[in-house]
Amino acid sequence: MVAFRIPAGPFELQDAAGFDEEGPDSLDDRERRLAFGAANYFSFVYPGHSLRLTIVRGPRGTYPSLTDDRCRHIGWFPDRVPVASLRVRSLVPSTAPDPRMTDLVIDIGGGDENIDTYDQLRGIVGKARRATRFFAPIQYDVARQIRTDVAERRSATRSLPRRRPAAVPRRVDGEGSGKPPAVLFGLHWLELGGAERWALDCIQLAKEAGLVPIVITDRDSAHPWITRPEFDDTVVVPMTHPIVMGHDAALLDGVFATYDIRGVHVHHNTWMYDRLPWIKSVRPDLPVVDSLHILEWRTGGFVDHSVCMSDMINEHHVISPRLRDYLIGKHGIPAAKVKLATLANLTTGNLTEEAAKAGHGRTDTFTVTYVGRFHQQKRPYLFLKLAAELKKAPGFGVRFIMHGDGPLAREVRSLRARLGLAGDVELRGPDQPVSATLAETDVLVITSENEGLSLTSFEATAVGVPVVSADVGSQGSIVAGDLLCPRHTYPFVRAASRAIQTLASSPDQRKHWLEEQAGKADALKRLPTGVDWARDLYRKWSRP
Amino acid sequence: MTTVAAVIVTYNRANKLSAVIKHVLSQTRQPDWVIVVDNASTDSTPAVLAPHVEEGSVTVLRLPENTGGAGGFASGMARAYELGADFVWIMDDDCYPDADALAELVRGYDAAHQGLGVAPSFACSVVKWTDGGICEMNNPGTTWDWARLLVRGQQAVLVAHCSFVSVLVPRWAMTRFGLPLKPYFIWFDDMEYTLRISRAAPGVQILTSTVVHDLATNHGVNFGQIDDANLWKYEYGIRNEGSYQLHHRGTVEFLAFARHLQRMMAEGKVPLRLRLRAVQALLRAIRFDPRPEFPRSVL
Repeated sequence: MVAFRIPAGPFELQDAAGFDEEGPDSLDDRERRLAFGAANYFSFVYPGHSLRLTIVRGPRGTYPSLTDDRCRHIGWFPDRVPVASLRVRSLVPSTAPDPRMTDLVIDIGGGDENIDTYDQLRGIVGKARRATRFFAPIQYDVARQIRTDVAERRSATRSLPRRRPAAVPRRVDGEGSGKPPAVLFGLHWLELGGAERWALDCIQLAKEAGLVPIVITDRDSAHPWITRPEFDDTVVVPMTHPIVMGHDAALLDGVFATYDIRGVHVHHNTWMYDRLPWIKSVRPDLPVVDSLHILEWRTGGFVDHSVCMSDMINEHHVISPRLRDYLIGKHGIPAAKVKLATLANLTTGNLTEEAAKAGHGRTDTFTVTYVGRFHQQKRPYLFLKLAAELKKAPGFGVRFIMHGDGPLAREVRSLRARLGLAGDVELRGPDQPVSATLAETDVLVITSENEGLSLTSFEATAVGVPVVSADVGSQGSIVAGDLLCPRHTYPFVRAASRAIQTLASSPDQRKHWLEEQAGKADALKRLPTGVDWARDLYRKWSRP
Repeated sequence: MTTVAAVIVTYNRANKLSAVIKHVLSQTRQPDWVIVVDNASTDSTPAVLAPHVEEGSVTVLRLPENTGGAGGFASGMARAYELGADFVWIMDDDCYPDADALAELVRGYDAAHQGLGVAPSFACSVVKWTDGGICEMNNPGTTWDWARLLVRGQQAVLVAHCSFVSVLVPRWAMTRFGLPLKPYFIWFDDMEYTLRISRAAPGVQILTSTVVHDLATNHGVNFGQIDDANLWKYEYGIRNEGSYQLHHRGTVEFLAFARHLQRMMAEGKVPLRLRLRAVQALLRAIRFDPRPEFPRSVL
């Protein structure tokens, strides 16, 4: 028998089968928490109901189906295997308690691995794109950057439609008394990511302030992070779409009826952004904040969504100066509403002239390093193209390390072989510490086509390694001006190649650039931190 | 608290630069940064700047080549933006601001913001010549409702464009509209830029903020004054204005500009050989349509 923890939630557990069995088919902790997440959702949506949940498991590579319309059908696909059942009674207050039994089928999916959208490209167009990127990644990237140029130009002249709040807000009922104080979080998913890491910190800080975190996600995922300790004593609602029409209001009504919601914090959650006008209409007193991380030119992303909804948001938390300028300067959002508070561990360590000197030539061969996921956004293939260019430079002995893994790992290995770099580029997996790689590094290269404010740049600064980066996102806030290279494919390779050769040949120039980099890191370090901002916010919300 | 970076663009004018810096540093409202953009001067400009750099009162941005006023202002404004300035205060290297010039610009900008209910796209000073009269070539163009603030008791008029002689540009305008067009090099860069940013809101001329423009002579410029000595400058001006009219207004406006150019040259009895050069400059405008660079957010 496996002891399992019954999470905090708006229901009373009446029976559970298959939850505490040992064996190859038994539910693991992640799957149990997904099932309880579904129970949370339906308890809010069906106040007072008894709910009978049949838990089925899908084949590998399928996402969970936890809250969408399919859950109401008591048939399931032939490849789904029933593995457990759950019976709960909703404790959500209802004006007309309904003892009716509602039957639901919850599909917990087929495993905790990430399903990369690139692998899901189907049809002829999808196959063509995959083949192009595999065999001609550099040319593929040229086309992508042109597309980004077009999107950027459109964005420069486009003003975003602004949603308006309800003109006559409804009367607010004094309904908080006696209910647990809580904060409503909107997250994208519970997977590895910078925004999610920050969301986890916020959830922990909310708990420390005495607030119950209600966490709603709106993106299909296996939610591997649902087992993290931050989600203990947290009400998780992992939504899968499409939900039944009308369930959105029922869900929020259920949350407001069960908890004394003191505020809403949207991280990256489209569903929640779209519900803000309604939330502000029924609860105009409720403070709403959001946290913004990165501009996404081609889609606009969460930042533009936030701009559209700004009249329903009391404060925008941004993690970089560029986002602050984008909101205030580009979209005219009042400066008083925009709070810049950084997230990275902004330490430059003991970076000194001696450290810089010690860093230079720490191995016999000049070492150029890539650290990051092998993902489209990071453009690992561009690093290989740069390596090929540097290898051709006369009289320049150099070796390369690529530290990471990800959906483009196969492409990386293939391109490395095709460019004749198998003996020059060492591949290292994420099982090895980044600090060990940086200790061998003379220059770190960031090839990303988009970034917020990359954590690896700070880590490199802390150990006295200069960073050559594509001039994207807020990289200009940490990287020396001369070491910022154009985002475009070939200009990047040319500029980065020149900069790296200068770094290798001129200790004075290297020292100058390192000092500029360290100075920028120190200036960022003096800015307010996100943790302090969130802690103060939740403390304020926790006061009666 | 609002921060201001003063940006002075200089090229081979060491004899006047000291006085400009002295006037800027003695403002009753001190700028938070003073940035001098040295457009690769070949005279004693570096020696003039050295003591100021040593005492830390001035930051020098020395460009590797002369990029003209347009390139100098674009580079200086970009640096001010990177430093985190809320406003840049830009001027030439022969502009002597009176002691209250900046204080009045900042105060007047805020008052105009309150009065209009919208943030002005820029605020400029009244530019005088050395004899105390108005400087003929630095008069801003007013909007149709130029007296909107004046009738409310503010010493300010609404303007659509001005020259880069004591202009306060807010950070948001640089974020939204970018920097002056470097490829313009010289002439019409100020007009194009202020027209561009005033699409969002009018600018204001603050009548209580005054500066002296130390030009050798005080007269306006027109295409009837083209001669061999100044032709190079007019060529830039004709190409730039032609480009603006054609690519930002329309073909009709471009043709009207061409007609105006011809008429002014005829009235000024400009030699045929120079008129031909002017027409060639105008034709270059057809393929000349530079796009603005945007400043980088650093802090």
